[in-house]
Parts: sequence; C-alpha cells; structure tokens
Amino acid sequence: MPAIHRIGLVSVGLTLGLGISAVSADVVAVVSSKSPITTLSKNQVMDIFLGKRTSFPDGSPAVPIDQTEGSTVRDEFYNRTAGMSPAQVKAFWSKIIFTGRGQPPRTAATSLEAKKLLVANPNAISYIDQSLVDSSVRVVLAP
Amino acid sequence: MALMALPSCAASAETADPGSGTQMFSLSGFGTLGVVHSSEDFADFTSSVFKPSGAGYGGSWSTVVDSLIGAQLTANITPKLSAVVQVIAEQNYDNTYTPHVEWANVKYLFTPDFSVRIGRIVLPTFFVSDSRDVGYSNPWVRPPPEVYQLLPISNSDGVDISYRLHIGSLTDTLQGNYGQNNAALPRGSAEGKHLWGFSNTAEYGPFTAHLAYQELHLTIASFDPLFNAFRLFGPQGIAIADEYDLDNKPLVTEALGASYDPGHYFVMGEWARANAHSIFAVGTAWYVSGGYRLGKFTPYLTYAEVKSNRNSDPGLTVAGLPPNLAGFAAGLNASLNAILETNPDQNTISVGSRWDFMRNVDLKLQVDHSREGPGSSGELTNLQPGFRPGGEDNLFTATLDFVF
Repeated sequence: MPAIHRIGLVSVGLTLGLGISAVSADVVAVVSSKSPITTLSKNQVMDIFLGKRTSFPDGSPAVPIDQTEGSTVRDEFYNRTAGMSPAQVKAFWSKIIFTGRGQPPRTAATSLEAKKLLVANPNAISYIDQSLVDSSVRVVLAP
Repeated sequence: MALMALPSCAASAETADPGSGTQMFSLSGFGTLGVVHSSEDFADFTSSVFKPSGAGYGGSWSTVVDSLIGAQLTANITPKLSAVVQVIAEQNYDNTYTPHVEWANVKYLFTPDFSVRIGRIVLPTFFVSDSRDVGYSNPWVRPPPEVYQLLPISNSDGVDISYRLHIGSLTDTLQGNYGQNNAALPRGSAEGKHLWGFSNTAEYGPFTAHLAYQELHLTIASFDPLFNAFRLFGPQGIAIADEYDLDNKPLVTEALGASYDPGHYFVMGEWARANAHSIFAVGTAWYVSGGYRLGKFTPYLTYAEVKSNRNSDPGLTVAGLPPNLAGFAAGLNASLNAILETNPDQNTISVGSRWDFMRNVDLKLQVDHSREGPGSSGELTNLQPGFRPGGEDNLFTATLDFVF
C-alpha cells in the first residue's frame, strides 16, 4: 500500500512539472538572421529594451521591438532577463515617460508580427517563444 | 481642453519607417487619489510648501495632500526633434485646482546620447525628484519630505543639456541646466534667478548612483517689512536683516544617492545638504529605505532625518532700550523666532506596502511616526495657537496610483 501511494505522488509530481513547463514559455531574444549580431548578455539586452542604449556592442543602431502588455512571452522575458514583474516594467516606463527621457519600444501585436519586423529591419531585436525560431531569425540570448 | 481632443489623432499619425514605428503624438497620464490622517490637531501636514492646507488642523482626514492628476502630450516631430507638455491638476497655493504646466519643452537629439532641451524643464536634484508626482513609479506614497523638501521646486525655465556615456556595462548620464523659477506661495511669491546645476547618474546592472548640485538666487519680498523694521535698530538690526533677508540670497543644494534593485527587493538611500543663507536656513538630511517584493505586495521600511541649520536666534538686544522700543524689539525677535521655528528638524520612521492589485494601478498604505527636534515644528505648517514644537505626530496615508 505505501508503495502505491508513492507511485501516485510521483505521477502527481510529473503532471505538475509538465504543467509548469507548458505555462512558462521558453523565451529567447532574437535578431534577423541578416544581422551580424551573434550573442548578447542579459545586461546588454536589457539596456536596449529599457532605453539605456540605442546601439549594439558593435556600434550599429539597435531597434527594440516589445510584445504586447499582458502577453505571457513579454512577462516571461522581463522576468527572466531583468527579474522584473509586469508592474515593475510599467513603473520603470512611467518614470522615463513622465520625466521626458524617452518612450517605450514599439510593440508587435504577436510573435509572428515581431518576426516580420525583424526580417524587415536587420537592426531590430525582439523576443519570441523558442518554438517559433526558424531560419529567418537568430537567437542571441536564451535567458 | 485642447489636450482631450488629441488621442483620436494619435493612432492615425504613425510614421512610415518600419523600424522605429514611433507615433507622431502620444498622450499619457498619471494620477493619485490619496487620503491622509494626521494625529496633530494644531498644525497641517502638507506634501509641499506650495500647498496652503493639509491633514491635521485643516481636517483630521485630508484628500488634498497627495491627490493629483497629470496628462502629458509628446510630439515626435522628427526622429531628432520632439516636444512635450505636462499639465498637472492638484491643490494650488491659492486652494484652487486649476491645472498648471509642470513642464513644456522642445528637445533636440544631436546624437542618441546627446540632447538639449529648451523650455520648462524638470530639475533632477534628488533621486526621484523628476518623477515625484508620478506615484505609480515610486515605492512609497511620497518621497521622504525630510530630503525632498530641502529644495521644493521641481522645474526650471531655461535650458538643459544631457550627455550619456557608455563605459563597458556602465551607463553614465551627465546633465547640466541653467534657467530660473518663479513660484507663487500660499503667502507671497518666490523669485529664483540664475538657477543652475548639474547632475550625474551612473547605472551598472542593478546599481544606480546619483549626485547633483543646484544653486539659485532666491528673493521672497513678503519678508521685507519684518527686516526693514529690524534695520531701524542700527548696526545690530542691519546685521540681522542682512543675514536673514531673502533678497537675492544663494540657495545651494548638494545631493548624493544610491540604490540597489536586483528585482525581488530594493535598498536605497540619499543624503543631501542645503544652505539658504537666509531665514530659511535649511540643513542636512538623509534617508534609507528598503522593500521586499512578495508577488503583488512590496512592503517597505524607511528611516528619514533632517537636521536644521537654525531654529532660533537671540535677535536684538532688548536690555538698555527705552521701554517703548524694547517692546517693539521683543516683538520683532518673536516674529523672527516664529519663522525660524518652522525650519524642519525631525526624524520619521515609515512602514508601508505597495499592492499591485491590477494592471496599471497600485494601492499603497503607509504609516509615518515623526519626532520633531527641540524648538522645531518639523515638516508641519499652518501652526495654530496651542501647537507645541518638538513634539511627535503620526500620519496614516492610503493612495491609489494609476497610469494611463
């Protein structure tokens, strides 16, 4: 009988584990495959998305493309790359906007639109779910 | 209002550049609905010297201390040229709520890291002084007044230059400003000329360090009758008048701050010193604050302190004066000391929590316990007969902050 209980616990654990990995997307930062950028650190990516830097480390201009507020991929991206909750990201941009220091990045409505914008502009950088990576984009950070 | 008509054109005015996609106009806003309870009955707690009344004598519960609403219109004219207007409605010096222009300026980017602004510009004296009105962007219900009221003005009419440097992973922003600030006060008006300063902000991952210097020449004519009376008493009276009169006196503010915010918690502190070379005296202030993020809740704890440069003066020597003049001199001395008493000297322990209970809205609750220094009324104003300086008071504040 005790052994049966343990089997039950193991299967519950597996189910929970799968459930968690399905909810939390594996988000990756991507650029166009035509971009010369191959890899970036978490700090380098965050500096671009938080408007602290307007160029890549090689000096070429960087154009960040966000995903819509409230999307899982966006929340996961800021959480994994900067440890910021959606409210923290909003509070950060409130400070920047209302002190006249800048505007948040342009927003793509979906990951597909983000990929289209990357293909159209080799200077652009965005983030998508890893499952959507194809030959049109290059992963520069898997946070 | 013309501002209200603009959101409809915001969506239609997108540029053709597929990369930047910046909109020609963007309208955004922020606000705070706040209620404050004070345990003090004979004086008011206000969030700024520009407010005529607050919580305490003016009502044990007050909604005027922190409540405000602001709107900002940004026009991106070209990728290098932009203009911005921010309008705020809050309790004004004359107890009206007429919106005022907090800032309005034109910004030109020579490079993405080098810009100049001309117009009414925000002053970056303290860590969050440029965003102190945006409750949603701050961890507390309001920045610690001990530090932030050392230099209560928040903008300058003039020019501002900003240069951003990148040294490895470090981002360093150097800023300089020159201009003037004229402000209406509940009693009288303040004229600030030759307002200049600089600041430096260094950011390295979760670390931020800030230092600033601001100087202006301040004139408040409403003190003239008092000091003209002092001048009638010969060399001693003239010396007192010259020392305290607010006639083109330099007000110098120096500030240092640092914060560490890795995401799930934050610690920050600021130290500042101001010298008004006048009856406003001012002094040295500092605070430390820390908070821990537990899901949607961010409880925090703050300790703040301000030491006044001066809270009293012996004034004119009354002994030896003819009786009729002695009474007049004693009256002048009492007036001088009544003003010096209001120079803040206090410490405060604050406990509170932010609750991000829905998107773009937070609710904060905060309790402050303040102890005033001997002979000082602390950060309180509107002192009434029966008020005793050097006491203690408690504040309870609830704010709902939002951005849109």
